[in-house]
Amino acid sequence: MFDITLSPYQIEFVLKPNITITQVYEVTNNSDQPITLNTEVLPFLPQGNNGSVTYTDISSNPNISFSLSNSNLVLGQPFTLPANSKQQLILKIKTSPTTKLSDYYSTFFVYQSSPMTENDSNFSQAIGKIGSHILLSVSDEENPKVDATVQKFMATPKIKDIFFTPINFTGQVQNNTNYFFKTSGKITITKNNQTVKELTLDSNNVLANYYRRLTCAQQSVCTLSPPLWPGAYTATLTFDENLKISPISTSFFVLPLSPIVFLALVALVITFIIKTKKSKPLL
Amino acid sequence: MKNKFFFFLFLLLFLFSQKINAQTFDSTNYHIEFGNFNMTGGRKTSTTYTLTDTVGQNAPGKYTNTGYTVKAGFQYIYDLSQPFSFKIDDLDLNFGALVPQVGSTQSNIITVTTPSAHGYDILASENHPLTAKSSTIPDTTCNSGTCDQSTSGIWTNIDAYGFGFNAIGINSSGVVTNVGTSNFFTDNTYYRQFASVKDNETPQVFMSESQPAKDHSAKITYKINISPGQSAGNYENAINLIAVPKY
Repeated sequence: MFDITLSPYQIEFVLKPNITITQVYEVTNNSDQPITLNTEVLPFLPQGNNGSVTYTDISSNPNISFSLSNSNLVLGQPFTLPANSKQQLILKIKTSPTTKLSDYYSTFFVYQSSPMTENDSNFSQAIGKIGSHILLSVSDEENPKVDATVQKFMATPKIKDIFFTPINFTGQVQNNTNYFFKTSGKITITKNNQTVKELTLDSNNVLANYYRRLTCAQQSVCTLSPPLWPGAYTATLTFDENLKISPISTSFFVLPLSPIVFLALVALVITFIIKTKKSKPLL
Repeated sequence: MKNKFFFFLFLLLFLFSQKINAQTFDSTNYHIEFGNFNMTGGRKTSTTYTLTDTVGQNAPGKYTNTGYTVKAGFQYIYDLSQPFSFKIDDLDLNFGALVPQVGSTQSNIITVTTPSAHGYDILASENHPLTAKSSTIPDTTCNSGTCDQSTSGIWTNIDAYGFGFNAIGINSSGVVTNVGTSNFFTDNTYYRQFASVKDNETPQVFMSESQPAKDHSAKITYKINISPGQSAGNYENAINLIAVPKY
């Protein structure tokens, strides 16, 4: 069995070249058996627009070195973690003086290190591996400048009924710099210049020169639920001032389609009943 | 009269004084006293709201002096410090003797718990296709001959040979929910290959969610179907199941 907890699940630092920092991780073996584990740090690239990563064949940056500061552990060498016990791993991260000012993304992995057991059968050995992301901004400034643009911000559907399906707001933020930042802001929905609802954006990391889909707090998709009054609505996406991203708006219309259909049906039924009564012969 | 007043004042001071605790941090390797210089901080909850705050965070000019800073201060780290867990209930997948044109399956259950952030991805790869001394069971291409490590396909034909896997989200009772896996496998007839590290293929995501998850599980089914002409031998490989958070 592989049953491991790793904490923290992500670290984020801004640091200058020629700096050494340490981060303590806690690895917990939740199983009733001891396990032999190993450690490694692999660089990653972002993939898709929702925070996924890929470990394609990218070489590690020689100007950033990782090692374990534990007296009895070495990065890349196996160690045994007894059943139901914890181990602190002290990861040392060092930037060389010649490190280019930019972002560097890696994952610190803890994985099972078990030699293949000899079998006289057809056999696959499953190996568990758990990772914690490391987002490093190597910069001379504590708060690198943000330069970003909003792409594809829209409300769907554009025309909808006052009941039933919700309005979804989608869009993504393109980071035009070499440093990641966190989205923070809101979508304000207005009708006749009156605020109907405010949706708070999730704090998502937008990595350097990459893009990220917008999501809202407590929702997987930014959504405005019915019922809604008929009329023309405007949704305005605004970011916190420190991000300096221009606001952007989109509009949609809510029409009383279902009441109109309902009233038309009622009118048809009444007309039909009246006509039926009129056409009945008098006894 | 004046002495009586001061005596009374001291008496009050002793009677109503409160215990003051400095915050400390401990580990097996170190002990830090006064670890947090904030006035207050942490998570406040009620039935209607949750609030985290950090009041009085200090150390201005730290970046100039030390050359590094945590990206978003104590408050952000408060949430980042939540643990990330990954469990595989069975690591040994013994297929026993293989019979040509009869699919042989093994299964295990993976479970993931993520912090209150942005979800997770589970990726898979194999060190190499199932290999005996001199021969290999190829990775499946499914019924249509088109599935690979990133595309699933229906695999039910007895004359479609190879090795592949299916993953289906289940709840704690083992009932199929397809949570986390629906974008990768339509149902339990769909299979795909493992990405082969030996062939420089990149580990591929087969289970993913963009919301926090607590004890979300999936049943992985590993399947081998060999042709009548497959060489005899003990075929083996290693399967990497990798859990990473969304950044």
